[in-house]
Amino acid sequence: MNGQEKSHELMALAESLVSFGRSQGTDEIEVSILDGLEFSVDVRLGKIESLVEAGSRYLGLKIIKDNKTAYATSSDLNTDTLKQLVKNAIWRAELANPDEFAGLPMPKPDAIDIPELNIYDHVISELTPDKKIALALETEKIALSDRRISNSHGASFETKEIHSVLANSHGFIHDYKETFCSLSVGIQAGETDSKVEDYWSSTERHFRTLDPPEKVAKKAVERTIRQLNPRKVKTQVVPVIFEPTMTNWLLGFLFACVSGTAVYQKLSFLSDKLGKKIGNEYITVYDDGRIPGKLGTRPYDSEGVPTRKNKVIEKGTLKNFLCNTYAGKKLNLPSTGNADGAGVGPNNFYLHPGDISPEDIIQKTEKGLILLRTIGHGLNPVTGDISRGAFGLWIENGEIAYPVSEITIAGNLGMILNQIEEKGNDLEFRSAICGPTIKIHELTVAGE
Amino acid sequence: MNKRDLLNFVDHFSLSRGDLQKLLNTALAHGGNFAEIFLEYRVYSSINMEEDIIKETSENIMLGAGFRVIHGDQTGYGYTNDLSLEKITRAALTASSIAEGSPSQNSPPFQSTPVIPNYYPIHQSAQDESLENKIALVKAAYQSALTCDRKVKKVKVSFIDQTRYITVVNSEGQNLSDVQPLVKLTCLCIAEKANKREAGFSGGGGRVGMEYFSKELTPEKMGEEAAREAISLLEAVQPPAGEMPVVLSPGHSGVLIHEAVGHLLEADFNRKKTSIFWNKMGQRVGSEQIFIYDDPTISFFRGSYNIDDEGTIPKKTPLIERGKLVGLLQDRLSGKFMNKPLTGHGRRQDYTCIPIPRMSNTYIDQGEYDPDEIIISVKKGFYADKFQGGQVEDSGKFTFSVSSGFLIENGKLTAPVKQATLIGTNIDILQKIDKVGSDLTFGLQTGTCGKEGQAVPVTDGCPTLKVAKMTVGGFK
Repeated sequence: MNGQEKSHELMALAESLVSFGRSQGTDEIEVSILDGLEFSVDVRLGKIESLVEAGSRYLGLKIIKDNKTAYATSSDLNTDTLKQLVKNAIWRAELANPDEFAGLPMPKPDAIDIPELNIYDHVISELTPDKKIALALETEKIALSDRRISNSHGASFETKEIHSVLANSHGFIHDYKETFCSLSVGIQAGETDSKVEDYWSSTERHFRTLDPPEKVAKKAVERTIRQLNPRKVKTQVVPVIFEPTMTNWLLGFLFACVSGTAVYQKLSFLSDKLGKKIGNEYITVYDDGRIPGKLGTRPYDSEGVPTRKNKVIEKGTLKNFLCNTYAGKKLNLPSTGNADGAGVGPNNFYLHPGDISPEDIIQKTEKGLILLRTIGHGLNPVTGDISRGAFGLWIENGEIAYPVSEITIAGNLGMILNQIEEKGNDLEFRSAICGPTIKIHELTVAGE
Repeated sequence: MNKRDLLNFVDHFSLSRGDLQKLLNTALAHGGNFAEIFLEYRVYSSINMEEDIIKETSENIMLGAGFRVIHGDQTGYGYTNDLSLEKITRAALTASSIAEGSPSQNSPPFQSTPVIPNYYPIHQSAQDESLENKIALVKAAYQSALTCDRKVKKVKVSFIDQTRYITVVNSEGQNLSDVQPLVKLTCLCIAEKANKREAGFSGGGGRVGMEYFSKELTPEKMGEEAAREAISLLEAVQPPAGEMPVVLSPGHSGVLIHEAVGHLLEADFNRKKTSIFWNKMGQRVGSEQIFIYDDPTISFFRGSYNIDDEGTIPKKTPLIERGKLVGLLQDRLSGKFMNKPLTGHGRRQDYTCIPIPRMSNTYIDQGEYDPDEIIISVKKGFYADKFQGGQVEDSGKFTFSVSSGFLIENGKLTAPVKQATLIGTNIDILQKIDKVGSDLTFGLQTGTCGKEGQAVPVTDGCPTLKVAKMTVGGFK
């Protein structure tokens, strides 16, 4: 069966289930189908460790009857099974309570412009297994060729091709295809009892924009060896510089706090701050599902609402919560095209960059910490409190002096947003949530 | 409604023993040493209540087959949820391609199935329970939390139950199946007072039947526990910062053993020499009071199973005894490679995943100290009560987030403390545990452990423990 026939078959299945649901008495029904192809190879110490290749399909459905909602999912796409799931869902919905905010979005006839978004790369489906294996092997080989590297967690190359179909009882029926590829390596340096470790990866929609093995390997090596022979520091309050990967982490926490679901549930410390100043003038944050070729780009969200560029924070003022249809209705706000399954997810959620280089930010810092990595779970969206184990580089007189470990950083997101004093020019869309290097005026670094 | 219609395992995999035998031979077509087929059918359902209403329910079906071929220390894997013979055969061929020769063996006939113990002898299956009764349970927990105190502003309760049918057949003639129930009721509660807002959490379940909620943990008690935690945090102060004696609460602190020690005793990290323990077998790695076990055979526990996900019958596995490293958690691949007997710790999230060594129910065994005396022995320190989670690196460095704790002043628990972080290096802490309490307790039956993107249910436990010195992260 060729690609087009397969596409038609899945769209026909989605439409037929929507009709079946209507005939069984639902008020509204939505059906989504994902059809994916996955390839991954892990290599370690010059040999293939595992090779996975598979195709799989999943179907999800949501029904609403008398303002009551029920969901179902299945990886069994047998028609009888799916019809039974629809019937069961209608029966279960009767036992739920009516919710005046339940409902599917009405389709918007906006142009969806799938090819313009540039999220599918046919080259990925044409890569041979040998080529993919060779990329992983080469990346690990380059990383291990550095004598300071003592062991390998292995290198991986992965590809994904996903075909998504969405249909609902308001007449929405669309599909699109997207691709991902990713090259990564994880390594250790140092002896058994004083090991340090890190990894690096490149993930892209298109094979041609993926970082080559040389670049991924060198970055992983650099990130690992800079942590060798760490010291402890005394507990103190100092300026803290977040590398882009750390800014991404901080922004991930911010996203959780501006998600409409957390807001209407009052699980975010920003719940009552819409239109108010929540940070200083350095903070401008967008969520944009329309940037061609980026990881968080998609034509419409999981409910079929077209994506767009949303201003989340403008010069410190909270402008928008990111919503799916339900959270939007609860907050009396429009859906922002951020529906993701039953919840809210980011498109390209990013902090607008500044114009100073990260090197200059370091040079201007007399004493402080460059935050390299954090571990742990200490994030509390209800209060904005942050408390995490950390690894970093200590700065003295504008220069990197030595690595530090066994420290924790503690602070509060609300406080940090008001204390950003520098913003780098190094924004790269390496993940759906991303930002440049930033410098925080001061945070508590706990050590000895 | 006859829900049983959807649940007949055999009907979904219309594969005879002969078909499975043929597919194993197909998987060995390129000369692999070992082939395995993992069949999974899982039905799970959920109920969510918030804002005083039952918001939604769900029913979910997962069905698929995974093929694994091991050749030397290399693994080929293919899976499919399209169960046509054509697609299944293709998955077998995908897995076979890890080897590049011609077949050297045929799969032998299946052995007769051994009688295996059942660690989840439940009475009233949640899957067979009426939706009305399950909703009543959710409402009971919700009401209990909401009415516990006027400061409680918001409650969220969810109930999830699943039944997982698995069959493992392999080219060594094994053919084993298991039916694994799993139930979880959780309650999240938000309390407010004078612009302060805090969250409390409670929950329970395991591989249990509905009788658990009348005998072991009632929904009313659970709701109350979540509310009490949120309310007590309203009075909490910021944590102290720096190095100090730390007392770890029984039960909840088990996560520390899981993260800081358990993961690094998974055989794969030792086979690959990335774990700090890889060259320490038989050596002293902690104080003499430390005994650590992983036991998948504790009845009704969330982390338990009758067979692991590669068909091994599991055993209680000693990891550290008298402070000496004595064992690792093995899966088939590492066990073969390290020439060690299998312990039954090869687990996978589902049929799309390659099994890897995982924990089940991990704990530090109890010692001799009276828990109250342990606290009395600390002049100034920190008591870690509940944890939000933790993480460890292969190098042994770890971090734990303490959601609630207390200051210890002159041998007494005083001010409640919120959101502290504990950091350290595992061997260092194992050596610094200088008092092990006599009160072994297990944490909530709600835990899920993630490794390499695979989530599996686990539990952990420990008695009251005193660590002589540990770094606490906080504001002051």
